[in-house]
Amino acid sequence: MATTDIGPKNPAVKAGEAAFDYVDKRTGVKTGAKWFMFRNIPAETSWFQTLGFTAMALFGMQAITGIILAMYYKPDPNSAYQSIEVITNEVTWGWLVRGMHKWGASAMIVVVFLHLGRVFFFGSYKYPRELTWVTGAILLIMTMFMGLTGYLLVWDQKAYWATVVAVNITASAPIVGPYVADILRAGPEFGPETLSRFYSIHMLVIPGGMATFIGLHLFLISKLGIAEPPYSKRRMAVERAEEEARRAAENERLPYGRREVPAVAPATPEPQKVEGAS
Amino acid sequence: MAESQGDETAGGTRGGQYSGPTAHVPEPVHDHHDDPAFITRTRFLTGVALVTGGVMTAAILVPVVGFAAADALKDEEWRWVDVGPLSDFPDGETSSIAVSGPAPESDRRAFLRHRDGAMIAIWNRCAHLGCPVSYSPGGDVYACPCHGGAYDSLGRVTSGPPPRPMDRFDVKIVTPDGQDVARQTSPAEGVSTAGASPEDRVLLGRPFSIDEEQNPFKLHGPGELVTGPLSNLYPF
Repeated sequence: MATTDIGPKNPAVKAGEAAFDYVDKRTGVKTGAKWFMFRNIPAETSWFQTLGFTAMALFGMQAITGIILAMYYKPDPNSAYQSIEVITNEVTWGWLVRGMHKWGASAMIVVVFLHLGRVFFFGSYKYPRELTWVTGAILLIMTMFMGLTGYLLVWDQKAYWATVVAVNITASAPIVGPYVADILRAGPEFGPETLSRFYSIHMLVIPGGMATFIGLHLFLISKLGIAEPPYSKRRMAVERAEEEARRAAENERLPYGRREVPAVAPATPEPQKVEGAS
Repeated sequence: MAESQGDETAGGTRGGQYSGPTAHVPEPVHDHHDDPAFITRTRFLTGVALVTGGVMTAAILVPVVGFAAADALKDEEWRWVDVGPLSDFPDGETSSIAVSGPAPESDRRAFLRHRDGAMIAIWNRCAHLGCPVSYSPGGDVYACPCHGGAYDSLGRVTSGPPPRPMDRFDVKIVTPDGQDVARQTSPAEGVSTAGASPEDRVLLGRPFSIDEEQNPFKLHGPGELVTGPLSNLYPF
């Protein structure tokens, strides 16, 4: 507390603090928020490490704009394209919300791949962050699947045939491919069930999975902390010291990582094992 | 009392063996939790909770997954589709016709090729990834707009990525009151129109796949091979 903080407190501040204390004592939200948000990070953390948050923010934008679009969109082959025309041309700011959703999808794919590249080139996937990488890979797959299922919903010729091709690529996977394709299409041919099925997958199934895995991803990041970038001065010093130790050990003709055995004999002789005794 | 005292004093001397008061040695503790074969209350209730939870989860998931997937895996039921009288498909022409089939919404079309008194029906689905191919009458060839697959007049691959020829529909010709006039015996020959009158109806039936020699095979999806070792990738 600053030295100016003397005298009776403002009653509004007091009431606010009391309310916060009430919640905090019953939930531990202060501890949790501190654990989650106020962590030590490496000195060299830069803008590169913000790509993951950008992807998450884009997911949030896609969720909000998608919820609004679902209020006007009709997942029926006879009215899907028409309802999108209504959204674009008649609903107030519909062109804006639809544009945000459409371009946000492309931006999300781009940002997710940049994030993937950053993690790869910084070596951040290494021990102990392997499972963070695995959850991220699952999130990547789900993001791509969102792209596939969302593309069909426009229900124009390009969307239709592009999805036919994509589902047929799925079908050409050995052994299980034809079954997966049949389940995706809701039958051997594209039809009205395909559209409503893709709509359900696009707005209910995968967003739920993505929210779950984003939560896991964030938990692991909070638990393990941000990795040092490869150009970190501290990390380079550690690596240089390791390299010097390795060279010194080579000069002494000792295998790296081993200590010389002390030349002191053990105080008590070890109990001898009798040959043949079981 | 006196007797016991006498015992005690005598204890030290008889036979050199001490039989006086000894420290209490407890019986070895028998904890059922250390015995893996014994079902304790905790173990029993843990098992009951796991089994109950499993049954309840299965009771929800099995119907849901079956509801979502089972109908999609059913084979299509095929019936004969009447595509018009024979006079619509004169000899020497290849005409494109919609085959609504069991799913009226599908964009399935057939090219009815009538040449030299025989008719075959080629499905317009590209054998590569299922795009609709187009027919160009000038060269009497088929071309796919998606990835450049090209087929000759009988639907056999001439260039591009398709792994096998285009699929065919079964064809038959019946009189207007439903009597069979001619049926297809082999895909290479097609159905003979020699003995048919112009008002006889042309019917399309179950589709099938062919290889380069026009031998019939069970219908395969786009991208699947019908011959060679790689055809075993799709055993079911």
